[in-house]
Amino acid sequence: MTATGAPSPGRTAPAAGGAAAGTGALVRLALRRDRIRLPAWLLGITVFVPYFYTVLGVVSPTQEALEESTALMDSPMVRLFAGPYFGFGEVTLQRSFLVYLPEFLLAAAVMSVLLVARHTRGEEQSGRAELVRASAVGRHAQLTAALAVAVLANTALGLLIALAMVALAFPAGSGLLFGAAVAATGLSFAGITAVTAQLGESSRTASGLASAALPAAWMLRAVGAVQDEAGGWATWLSPLGWPQLTRILDDERWWPLALSVLLFAAGAAASYALAERRDLGGGFVGTRPGRSTAAPWLRSPLALAWRLQRRTVAWWGTAVFAASLCYGGLGGAMDEGAVDLPAEVVGGPAVDVLDGYLSIMTVSMVFVVCFFAVVSVRGLRRDETSGRAVAVLTAATGRAAWTGTSLLVTAVSGVALVALVGLGTGLGAAASVGDGSLLPVLLGAALARAPEVLLTAGLAAALLGWAPRAFGAVWAVVVYGVCLRFFAPDLGWPDRLLATSPYNHVPRVPVEEPALVPTAVLTVLAVALAALGVWGFGRRDLDG
Amino acid sequence: MTTAVSAVDLTKAYGPTRALDGLDLTVRSGEVHGFLGPNGAGKSTAIRILLGLVRADGGAAAVLGGDPWRDSVALHRRLAYVPGDVELWPDLTGGEIIDLLGRLRGGAVAARRDALVERFDLDPTRRARTYSKGNRQKVALVAALASDVELLLLDEPTSGLDPLMEAVFQQVVGELRGEERTVLLSSHILSQVEKLADRVSIIRRGRVVQSGTLAEMRHLTRTAVEATTAAPADGLDRLPGVHGLEATGTRVRFDVDGDHLDGALKHLGGFGVLSLSSHPPTLEELMLRHYGDGEAA
Repeated sequence: MTATGAPSPGRTAPAAGGAAAGTGALVRLALRRDRIRLPAWLLGITVFVPYFYTVLGVVSPTQEALEESTALMDSPMVRLFAGPYFGFGEVTLQRSFLVYLPEFLLAAAVMSVLLVARHTRGEEQSGRAELVRASAVGRHAQLTAALAVAVLANTALGLLIALAMVALAFPAGSGLLFGAAVAATGLSFAGITAVTAQLGESSRTASGLASAALPAAWMLRAVGAVQDEAGGWATWLSPLGWPQLTRILDDERWWPLALSVLLFAAGAAASYALAERRDLGGGFVGTRPGRSTAAPWLRSPLALAWRLQRRTVAWWGTAVFAASLCYGGLGGAMDEGAVDLPAEVVGGPAVDVLDGYLSIMTVSMVFVVCFFAVVSVRGLRRDETSGRAVAVLTAATGRAAWTGTSLLVTAVSGVALVALVGLGTGLGAAASVGDGSLLPVLLGAALARAPEVLLTAGLAAALLGWAPRAFGAVWAVVVYGVCLRFFAPDLGWPDRLLATSPYNHVPRVPVEEPALVPTAVLTVLAVALAALGVWGFGRRDLDG
Repeated sequence: MTTAVSAVDLTKAYGPTRALDGLDLTVRSGEVHGFLGPNGAGKSTAIRILLGLVRADGGAAAVLGGDPWRDSVALHRRLAYVPGDVELWPDLTGGEIIDLLGRLRGGAVAARRDALVERFDLDPTRRARTYSKGNRQKVALVAALASDVELLLLDEPTSGLDPLMEAVFQQVVGELRGEERTVLLSSHILSQVEKLADRVSIIRRGRVVQSGTLAEMRHLTRTAVEATTAAPADGLDRLPGVHGLEATGTRVRFDVDGDHLDGALKHLGGFGVLSLSSHPPTLEELMLRHYGDGEAA
C-alpha cells in the first residue's frame, strides 16, 4: 500500500454505490414533484410536431408548390436559421419539416437546463438539499438523480416525438432518429447544466450560465450552416449542430449523436469532480453584491412593479424580437417560392402565401406574448401567497394601487412586446423580401392584436380578484384559444364554436382587412375585467 | 390613558375552523403588550385583521382610532409590521427593500436605518435570494424599526434570529419604550415577552383567556415547591391550595396557590426542612395552566 493510497484513519470503505445511495428514492421524489410540469413540457413540445407539419401542408399544398418554395429555402439566409439540412435537392413535405428541427432542439435544451438546475442547485439553494443529504443519501445521489431524471425526460420526449412522426406517416427509422436527435440535444444541455450548477450559488446562476451556452451553440451552428451546405467546421463545434448532421431523411447516420452523448457524459463527470471539491451550498462563482441602498426612483408601487418585472420584460423582449425576426426573415423564401405559382395551385380564394405565412406567424407570436401576460399577472398572486405582498400592503400602499400599478406594467410591457413582434416580423420580412412597406403593415397587424394580450391580462386579474385559487384557469383559456385558432379550422368546426375564443376576432392582417371594432371591443373588455379584478382584490381577504 | 389597539368580540372563521372566537384585546398607548399563545391560537389572524389584510366576520376593531379595514392606507403610515416568516423579492438587495418599504410608508429615518443595519449586523448589498431566514427577518425588522411610526405590530418577529440578535432586538424595543411608542409583540418565546412586556394577553383557541400585567398574572398562579425534610411530610394533601403533590420518602414536590404559600411553608417547617427550592411560575407554566389540563387539578 502506498502512502497516497492509504485510507484516512477512521474512514471505512464505502459500501458499493455509497456516494449514490438513495438515488432511486430521489428520482421518484423528483418525478413526483414534476408530475405536472414534466408531462406538460413533453406534451407541449410534442404537439408542435403535428402543428408545424400541418402548417407546412397548408402553406405548400402540392408537390410543385413545395418544390418551388423549398428550392429557395436553400438560400444562405434560411440555412442561417435552420441549417444545415439535407436532401432538399429532392424535397418532400416530410423533408421540409426538418426546417423546424432547431425549434425542437431548443425546446429540449431549455427543458433540460431548467430541469437539472431545479433539481440540483435549486434544491441546495432552498435548503431542502440539506434535509435530504442529512439522511442516508450519498454525496452524489442528488446530482445522479437529477441526471437520471433528465435521461428519463429526454428519452420520453424522443419517443413521443418519434411516435407523433410515425403517426404522421414518417418512416419509423427517420422518426426515431429525429426523436433521438432531440433527446440527445436535451442530454448535452443537461450535462452542461450539471457543470454550471456546481459553479454559482443560485439556481438562476446555474440556469443562466447554461442558457448562455444556448445562443453560443446556436450561433456556431448558424455560422457552420452558412460556411458549407453540409455544415462547416463551426457546425461540428455546436451541440445544436450535431443532431442536424445526422442527415435525417437523407443518407441517415446515427453517429453524430454520439458527440451529444459524449458531451453529456463529460459534463456529468466534470460535475461530479467539481461537486467533490466544494461544500454543500457553496460555489466557485461568488454572488455579486448589489446596491446597499435603493435607487432614488424606487419609491412608489409603480416603481416597484417595474423594478420587479423589468428583467423579465427585457428577456421576453429579446426572445420575442429575435424569434419574430427569424420568422419574418423566412418570409423571403416563402415569397419567392410562391411567385410563380398559378392561382389554381394556391387554391380557393387567392391567398398570397407570403401574407398567409406572415399573418400566421404574427398570430403565433402574439399568443407567446399572451403567455407573458399570464406570467406577469401571476407575479401578483405569487407575491400574495408568499407573503411578499404583505410587506407592501402594510406600508401605506392601498390594494388598488398595488394591483393597479402592477397591471399597468403588465399592459404596457405586453403592448411593447407586441410591438416588438411586429417590428421583428416586419424588419425580417422587409429585409428578406426587399419590400420596405411590409414593416408598417406587419407592425400594424401585430398592434391590432395587442388587445388579445390585454384581455388575457384582464382575465388573469379578474381571477386574481375573485377566484384566486382558480388562477390557473387562465392558462386553460389561452390554450383553448391556441387550439381553436390552429387546429379547429382544419377540422371544419362551426364558426359559432370558433367565436367562443376571444382570440378569434381580430382579423389576420394582411390576409384579412383590418377592422377597428374587434380591437376596440376587446380593449374595453380587457379594461373592464382588469377593473373588476382590482375591485375584487380590494374587498377580499389576503391569502398566505 | 389612550388606547392604541382595541378589539371587541372579534370572530373569524376559515371554513369549519374558527380562527378567532370572540377575541377581546386592548393595547394602551405607549406600552409594550405581549400577545402570547401557541401556534394556531389565532395570534396572526388577529394581527392580520388589525392590519386590514383580512376582514373580521364579526366584532369591532380599532387601531390608532381608525377602522383597520376602511382606513388601512392612512393607518399604515402610522404603523409598521414584521411578520414571523418574512418573504422578500429574490432579485432585490436587502438595502433596496429596506429603503423601498420605508419610502412606501412615507419615509424612514436614514440615520436610524444605518444604525440598525449596523446593530443587526446585516449586509444590505446581498440579494434577498441569498439571505438566510434570520437575515430576511432582519431586513423586515430594520425596515419597521427605522420608520418613525406610533405603533409596531410584531408577529413573532425574531424567529430565526440567533440569541445575540435576539438581545439586540430586546435592546431596540427597550429603547422604543422610552420613546412612548406602542408595541404589540406576539410571541411564543416566553422569556422575550417576560423581559419586554408591560402587559400580557394570553390567547387560546381564538379567545383571550387572560390579560394583565405580569405581576397580576403571578398573583393568580401557583408557586412550585421542592423540599427535603428530616421526617416524611404528611398531611400536605389536606392543605388548601396545594396541587400535584408528589412525595417519595422525605422528598416532596408540589404546586401551591399564591395565597396559600405561607400555610404550606409553615406546615413543612414542622418536619424539619433540610433543603427547599421554590420559584415563581415562568411564562411556560402560565401557559400550561391555560393550555394543559392543569385547570382540572
